[in-house]
Amino acid sequence: MTAIMQLTLVDDDEVFVFLTSKMIEQSKLVDLIKIFDNGYDALVFLKENLGNIDALPDIILLDLSMPIMDGWQFLEEYVKINPVIGKKITIYICSSSISPVDVSRAKAIDEVSDFIIKPVTKDKLVEMIKNL
Amino acid sequence: MKELDDYKYALDESAIVAITDPKGIIIHANDNFCRISKYSREELLGMDHRIINSSFHPKEFIRDLWVTIANGKIWKGELKNKAKDGTVYWVDTTIVPFLNQEGKPYQYVAIRSDITQRKLSEENLLKSLKEVSDYKFALDESSIVAITNQKGIINFVNDNFCKISKYNKEELIGKDHRIINSGFHSKAFIHDLWITIANGKIWKGELKNRAKDGSYYWVDTTIVPFLNELGKPFQYVAIRSDITLRKKAEEDLIKYSSALEFKNTQLVDFCNIVSHNLRAPLINISMLIDYIDQSTDDNERQIVHTKIKPVVNNLMEIFNELVESIQIQHETGIQADKVDLKNCLDKVLIGFETQIREYEANIELDESEAPIIYFPQKYLESILINLVSNALKYKSHGRQPRIKIKSKKINDTVLLSVCDNGLGIDLDLHRNNLFKIRKTFHKHPDAKGFGLFMTKTQIESRGGKIWVESKPDKGSTFFVEFNNQNI
Repeated sequence: MTAIMQLTLVDDDEVFVFLTSKMIEQSKLVDLIKIFDNGYDALVFLKENLGNIDALPDIILLDLSMPIMDGWQFLEEYVKINPVIGKKITIYICSSSISPVDVSRAKAIDEVSDFIIKPVTKDKLVEMIKNL
Repeated sequence: MKELDDYKYALDESAIVAITDPKGIIIHANDNFCRISKYSREELLGMDHRIINSSFHPKEFIRDLWVTIANGKIWKGELKNKAKDGTVYWVDTTIVPFLNQEGKPYQYVAIRSDITQRKLSEENLLKSLKEVSDYKFALDESSIVAITNQKGIINFVNDNFCKISKYNKEELIGKDHRIINSGFHSKAFIHDLWITIANGKIWKGELKNRAKDGSYYWVDTTIVPFLNELGKPFQYVAIRSDITLRKKAEEDLIKYSSALEFKNTQLVDFCNIVSHNLRAPLINISMLIDYIDQSTDDNERQIVHTKIKPVVNNLMEIFNELVESIQIQHETGIQADKVDLKNCLDKVLIGFETQIREYEANIELDESEAPIIYFPQKYLESILINLVSNALKYKSHGRQPRIKIKSKKINDTVLLSVCDNGLGIDLDLHRNNLFKIRKTFHKHPDAKGFGLFMTKTQIESRGGKIWVESKPDKGSTFFVEFNNQNI
């Protein structure tokens, strides 16, 4: 892996963000972690950096339940800008939801690679990043 | 003598003439008699007059005839006779007894004219009249019938109409048909009905009417316009049948199914809350503990350890909120209080005094249309606290907060509106989540996502409704509909 690996966390759960960032740092697989605590701020960032390969993440871990703009609403908007984004971004939903409705709804969105039910272990994180 | 012959000639030409002896034996029959009875003269002469008896008339009638003429009096009447071929004919008959010196009849002259056609039409008329009155009887027995003139003024009602409308005939005749109008149907619906029948067409439909005592009944209705020679309706006959029970069953079914739907939504919401809101902090705790277990750095373990307590507190808080909401959902037996809206709001506003002064907020109440709300006092207070608190919390950054609260009576509901000029909410984004637990829509440190969830729970537990209209940066108006207010 020669290029700089960037990961973005979109999650309002402080404890999850804290622990996940720590685990990712320790894995040394990622060079830069960006954190947004709601879908709207993440979307604004993506829109401001359309085509800017250096600024855009390779992977997004997306929570579903968030204030202002939740994960579903983020995805709805993301699908619209995806064709002009200029970089392949892998999106994993990371949610504490165990609702089968949520899982099947996520499966129906092509832009979502997988639905990870929290908790996320360090091994799982490493596997996700290496699988890119 | 010549004159007499002329009379006889005239009579024979114009009438059916027969002469019998005192015993009724035919001794003369003119051509008209032969023609109508289809017997030849030879067959008639010497025969008893009963040869043309049709057996139609009762014995008493015939006896009365004989008694009359045997007493030398003239008998007049209509007789049904039978011709040779078995067909019958009607004759208008005058029997004149010719008397001897002792005043006893020695012969009878019967002068008849053919009235078969008239009697036949009379019979048919009677038959159809009877048929019509049979129909009317059947209709009156089975249906609710009213007849109005072309302006809708009632001319006739049957007993069933009186029974169901609880008015007596005198109260209805001459009145506008709108006397039983329930106000339930839209103007357009009623307009369509009138257009249909005024154009001479039959209207069919289901109508909700109001009886004299204010109760309602449903009728399946057919209105038939009766047209005059010009094709214009001169009266309308409305035939109805009572379908109140069916409609009631239909309404109940809709009520039950929507109550069931509501319960189901609540259940789904509850599952979501458990899945999202309770599971998330549990996962946090489990991940924190795993991290501590795996970490070798004591200092780091210390830092991570301090993060457990707030998560547990958060879990407790959500858990308590959930318990509270479930309690409300099950407190359906709680009594509605008669709450004076102004007093209630004044009490609530005491808690916001500092904020109101600090923000120079202007709060107006217009309770003139509905000063009283029947609702559990503690819920209404809580609803007002939440709505006022939100209006103040999410005030616009530039504008002085202005909150208008208004109550309005609509049928048996009171509609309470709380209108602010604050930040507003982007409903395109948040409509679905607005009243859900732990959902927030502004970056505000005090936003917890519990107030509106609780408010909705309190309102819906009493069968009410809450909704919002809002424009970002213009303001929001929350509407609360309280039902069953006609106590």
